[in-house]
Amino acid sequence: MYFLYFDPGLGAMIIQGLVAFAAGILLFSKGVMYKIKGLFGLNKEEEDTYDSIDIDQTDDDEATEK
Amino acid sequence: MKQQKSNTTHEASFRDPSGYMFYDGDALRRQVNPIYFKQYHALKEQGIFKTLIKNKLLIAHQETAVSDDGIVITPEPIPFITNPYEWSFEQYKHAALHTLQVHKFALSKGFILKDASAYNITFHKGKPIFIDTLSFDFYKEGEPWRAYKQFITHFFGPLVLAKHHGAKVFQMMQTHIDGIPMDLIASMLPSKTKLSPTLYTNIHLLAKAEGKHNKDYKAETKTVSLSLKAQNNIIDSLFDYIKKLSIEETTEWGDYYTKTNYEKAAFANKAAIIKEWVSEEQPKKLIDVGGNDGTFAREVLPTVPDVLVTDIDPEAVGQNYKLAIKNKEQNMLAFVCDVLQPAPGIGFNNTERDSLITRLQNYAPDVTMALALIHHITLSGNVPFVKSAQFFASFSHTLLIEFPKREDTWVASLLMRKREFIQHFDFYNEAEFEAGYGKLFTIEKKIAVAGTERVMYLMKRK
Repeated sequence: MYFLYFDPGLGAMIIQGLVAFAAGILLFSKGVMYKIKGLFGLNKEEEDTYDSIDIDQTDDDEATEK
Repeated sequence: MKQQKSNTTHEASFRDPSGYMFYDGDALRRQVNPIYFKQYHALKEQGIFKTLIKNKLLIAHQETAVSDDGIVITPEPIPFITNPYEWSFEQYKHAALHTLQVHKFALSKGFILKDASAYNITFHKGKPIFIDTLSFDFYKEGEPWRAYKQFITHFFGPLVLAKHHGAKVFQMMQTHIDGIPMDLIASMLPSKTKLSPTLYTNIHLLAKAEGKHNKDYKAETKTVSLSLKAQNNIIDSLFDYIKKLSIEETTEWGDYYTKTNYEKAAFANKAAIIKEWVSEEQPKKLIDVGGNDGTFAREVLPTVPDVLVTDIDPEAVGQNYKLAIKNKEQNMLAFVCDVLQPAPGIGFNNTERDSLITRLQNYAPDVTMALALIHHITLSGNVPFVKSAQFFASFSHTLLIEFPKREDTWVASLLMRKREFIQHFDFYNEAEFEAGYGKLFTIEKKIAVAGTERVMYLMKRK
């Protein structure tokens, strides 16, 4: 159950499939480009505090228990 | 000066029925209502809170009371809350990326961010931090992201607008507490943005869909399904897009310190006075109003546990923020503020988000610095001395203020711009300045900065 204290927007709910479809194609082509560039050694490593959307979980207790 | 806040509910947390914030004396605590117990326990037991806190994504908290009627958690105190309309482009961008990181992590553990309000983020110890501990809910298989539109109106839209119109568009968040309306975002973007698949789908198409369904009074609860993979694609692609966003803005001040009339020796003289006077006060909290990129505040940063630096120029604030990250400074908080129009109280009852002055009064800085600022307030803003003195006196008892004399090149240039009205500004001189500020402050120290046409004052509120 969700506590909806704001309007998520019906339109916004409906079009997410389309948005995801476009995003999927983009991410796929980006991945392909990355691999092609990699073959020629053209990939630049960027330095930023927000480099990746995935957070580092390696130092979790959960991970060390395994 | 501090407002009495014991046992009052915080004005910003009435929307979410999961719980609310309240003041217990001076401590700010969060009540978790029974309706949210299931989520709270799951988040706690599955170590979600722990991982988020460990990775500095979520503000740390302690469980301080447990009963059947509610659980009370006490978050780590944050000395000063800044709001989205006070962030530079870099800060806004990091806040958006931070939100996506939190949501993505939650998704990987079977949870979602149930709202993506920009007010869930503030800056603490030099970095963005998620502060709404109760913003998580269970992920339901196939459910689209309910906070998607909110993320666009609070984060993605403003950021893309800023790319095209500059960071000043963030000011629009002041008049739109629930985010900039979709149709407004779409209409303010150049039509070439329709050619970008990311902008076309996330903004133009969304605005269209929202416009179409807005008039739907039947309140249909049409169920739409979206796979987890698809949802991850949306947020991954938003993350990638935002990460690459940048703005080209020429700053109001930019290389201020190289282009102004500072000579190295004069700069050092001024810095020495500041260091000496500030160290004598031994402040715990200090604010530098109009502090540009924090150059002078950094002179005292090692000795003051908490420092705020404001400037009217988002670019200078952005540079300060980046520098603080680079230097790993945890006690430097930069934000945008126009002294001539400080952020008002906004939202329901005008109390949901406190005005800048209220927040500064609660923060109660031990020392306020106003360097090379008074000529801008007085001559650009036409603010009489006693009025600006009232502004500083409203939140500070110790004021370290620099007065550039008429002979200073900056002042001369500002006066020149007055053209035939120049004689209306004859009052701009040391004697009038001292008389105006003398009504509210006692001048304790006064010294000319060698090598400049500037005078430094240390004043105490009467």
